[in-house]
Amino acid sequence: MSAVRLKGLTLRYGGVDVAAVDNLSLEIGDGELLALLGPSGCGKTTTLRLVAGFLDPEAGEIWVGDRCLSAPGNVVPPERRRMAMIFQSYALWPHLTVAQNVGYGLRFKRDLARADREKRIAEMLRVVQLAGYEARYPGELSGGQQQRVAVARALVVEPEILLLDEPLSNLDANLREEMRFEIRRLHEAFGITTLYVTHDQAEAMVISDRIAVLQAGRVAQVGTPDALFERPRTRFVAEFIGKTNVVDGVAAAPDVVEHGGVRLTVAGARFTPGAGVALSVRPHQIDLVEPPGAPAPNVFAATVRRSSFLGDSLDYEVTITGSDLVLRVVGPATRRLAPGQVVGLRIDPSACVPLDGA
Amino acid sequence: MDRALVVWVGAALALVFLMAMPLAWLTVMSVSSEAGTTLGHYRYVFTDPALAKSLWNTVVLAFWVGLVSIAIGAPLAWLTARTDVPGQGLIRGLVLASFVTPPFLGAFAWEMLAGPNAGLLNKVWRGVTGSDHPLVNIYTMPGLIFVVAIYTFPYVYIMIANTLALIASDLEDAASILGAGRLTVARTITLPMVLPAIVSGFILSVLQALALFGSPAILALPAGFHTITTQVWSFFHFPPKIEAAAAISMPLLGATAVLLWLQKRLLGRRGYAAVGGKGGTRRRIALGAWRVPALLACLAVMACAIFLPYGILAKAAFSRAWAQPVGWDNLTLANFTFTFFEYGATRAAIVNTLELGVITASVGAVLVAVLAYVTNRRLVVGHQIVAFLAFAPVVIPGIVLAVALFIAYTRPPFVLYGTLAILFIAYLTKEMPVGYGQSDATFRGIPPDLEDAGRILGAGRLRVLRDITAPLAKSGIIAAWCFIFIGVIRELSASIILFTPNTKVMSVVIFDLKEEGQFGAIAVLGLVMLALTFVTVAIVQRALGRDVLGARE
Ligand SMILES: Nc1ncnc2c1ncn2[C@@H]1O[C@H](COP(=O)(O)OP(=O)(O)OP(=O)(O)O)[C@@H](O)[C@H]1O
Ligand SMILES: [Mg+2]
Repeated sequence: MSAVRLKGLTLRYGGVDVAAVDNLSLEIGDGELLALLGPSGCGKTTTLRLVAGFLDPEAGEIWVGDRCLSAPGNVVPPERRRMAMIFQSYALWPHLTVAQNVGYGLRFKRDLARADREKRIAEMLRVVQLAGYEARYPGELSGGQQQRVAVARALVVEPEILLLDEPLSNLDANLREEMRFEIRRLHEAFGITTLYVTHDQAEAMVISDRIAVLQAGRVAQVGTPDALFERPRTRFVAEFIGKTNVVDGVAAAPDVVEHGGVRLTVAGARFTPGAGVALSVRPHQIDLVEPPGAPAPNVFAATVRRSSFLGDSLDYEVTITGSDLVLRVVGPATRRLAPGQVVGLRIDPSACVPLDGA
Repeated sequence: MDRALVVWVGAALALVFLMAMPLAWLTVMSVSSEAGTTLGHYRYVFTDPALAKSLWNTVVLAFWVGLVSIAIGAPLAWLTARTDVPGQGLIRGLVLASFVTPPFLGAFAWEMLAGPNAGLLNKVWRGVTGSDHPLVNIYTMPGLIFVVAIYTFPYVYIMIANTLALIASDLEDAASILGAGRLTVARTITLPMVLPAIVSGFILSVLQALALFGSPAILALPAGFHTITTQVWSFFHFPPKIEAAAAISMPLLGATAVLLWLQKRLLGRRGYAAVGGKGGTRRRIALGAWRVPALLACLAVMACAIFLPYGILAKAAFSRAWAQPVGWDNLTLANFTFTFFEYGATRAAIVNTLELGVITASVGAVLVAVLAYVTNRRLVVGHQIVAFLAFAPVVIPGIVLAVALFIAYTRPPFVLYGTLAILFIAYLTKEMPVGYGQSDATFRGIPPDLEDAGRILGAGRLRVLRDITAPLAKSGIIAAWCFIFIGVIRELSASIILFTPNTKVMSVVIFDLKEEGQFGAIAVLGLVMLALTFVTVAIVQRALGRDVLGARE
């Protein structure tokens, strides 16, 4: 069993007051691919290096199955953690050929016969489509090929845990897309428990089973890509995952939020009247309708301020009539609205997601 | 087309005058005699027992200097690049000081420190122990190796420190997470990656030792043995044997060429530039309790290379008798008045040195800047050949160059011997590779995009050169100027062959003063030379905004 449990990990870099990783707890299921997602400097790399054992935590524990890898006073060095890692820089050794790079980790598997070793290297190079490149040096490969060598080097040892630190960030857009699917395919083929660091939310959504969003060294929210998108818990998560409108208002009733005369009914909410509330409303969940004749719940008249054609859809910025509330709305490409035009907006109560920490 | 032609004609002419003609004459001379073509000079050089011995001595000296340089330079480089040893800035500064110290000054200083009779260290030793044997005798092969190596190890240091600085910790981490322990990582990853740097450093040190004239002349001759360079020099004494000098130069030239070729081959196909990806960071190893001992070890090396030699030079400069203890009655400025006002040759030599330094550096800096610009922007077909030619003089040791120039320019149509011009040609040729290397790096660091951005906005090529390229390249060109200048003012091995009574330079005068036993005056001139050097180094540091020893991010 290789489920990973991180319990209360904390790390402060020397001479820095703020913790790079701050009391971070997280579980990664056996065979799961979990993405660590967050903006630059939020502590993703640091977390990954703690798991790998390149950094020793100040506090907290790391468990793999029932094996304790790190607890205060008892830290297993990286070479005995049975993990593999794909580095942001690839970290290919320039003095070793492709085959030697890939075969390096097998040197430490004593029970593996030489012939088996070569067979596994050849097989792995075939899997990453690098057969025929065995004798090249890393400096003689393209960026994408180098990246695949790094992948092969990590997978060939059949690690319990695979760690990846923004492995795609150096590739151009097309190749990146291709490699995303490749990594997902390899994950499904090998089923290795994987921790995948990225700051690209689209990448995280495509590739992972679950996503942990990190903010300033803490986990802001963990969940499946769907759950994070549909039910973000904080403003930070809502804004980081996809586009959204955040409406700051005051609870006028247990399920109604008011912002400058605009009253929004929220499904299944129980606010304390008078309390400040923030709502997330995704642009594509706002329906464009005919301007309302009479007032109706969650239906508003609005004026188009700006529209941008995105090919398969249109992106509007609208102002709700009689308020200062500006919303982003996505409309179908079949019906185009011009700036100045008056439209109706209908916001389903279930599309209004209350956020913590208004 | 016409532009290419101008460059080509210029480069070809320069090549002919600076290298091809002198080397051709050298070759011709080595096989000529009154009776026609002969291999007799070579037979003489390789079979005469004394000469064969000097060849062998050179091999021994160079090899051991290479090894000792690694023994000193490699640990020092590792300590400063990869550990938290305290005083890193100080150590790098001292390595730099050792790098720019003229080796022959170090040899003089060590003569005063460790000469068997009057040497300061030996006197202290006798005083303390009551023994009547000296502690060390610098007039020996090991003594010579030591004195050469303490000024040569910076070559190893630079190669290794700069390589270590390029190896991201990621590369080591990648091995340890796959199961390699610390020692295995060091053996299979780190060492193989620095090995080319170590071997390169070894080869560069060997080349230095091969070409060196001053230190062997100062330490080996009293010890009663010759090296190739001192042998070449003695062939110029009356009665001169120029043919033999030419013949014995050849093995030196050949060895240099082979070693440089080997060094180039070393990197082979494995590109050592960082591969792919965002560069990782480098962690430093905590030395813990070893921090202070490590610093002390570094300082001990520096005591040998800098503190003790500089100290004794200063003492000798201000003392009536350098071997007597420091004290008021021994303190004097007489050495300065003697050097500058009484000793005939000094002032002219200082003027000559500065004149040659400024002219060579100025002509050289412009020349290498043009060459580097032309090759980097691929302005002419065959620009690679231009680059190759600019580097080619590297294979010619100073003294061999001097012999070749002597032969070429003591006869019509170009009689330059006896003028400063011949020294100028020697210096320009000798310093060209260093200057070119610096300029090349400068222009490589200015992306053509910056120029193109100016062009697209309406500036012509020359305008862009003036408004964009020149300001960006300025500091790099100043640095090239300084490197050439430093090289010229300390030059001895070519000057010692090419000087005439009217064209003496400082290094030659220092060498003359030695024959007369004027240690006080030597010390004074040595200090002047060091002061000039360090001022120039300070200018480079300012111009480049980093230390001269090389890229450290
Ligand atoms: N060696 C170090 N010394 C001091 N502070 C550091 C060091 N490495 C990282 N930090 C700090 O720790 C915090 C977390 O850094 P980390 O590298 O984990 O971020 P990250 O999420 O991986 O960011 P990115 O997406 O830019 O790679 C940052 O504030 C960073 O400045
Ligand atoms: Mg990172």
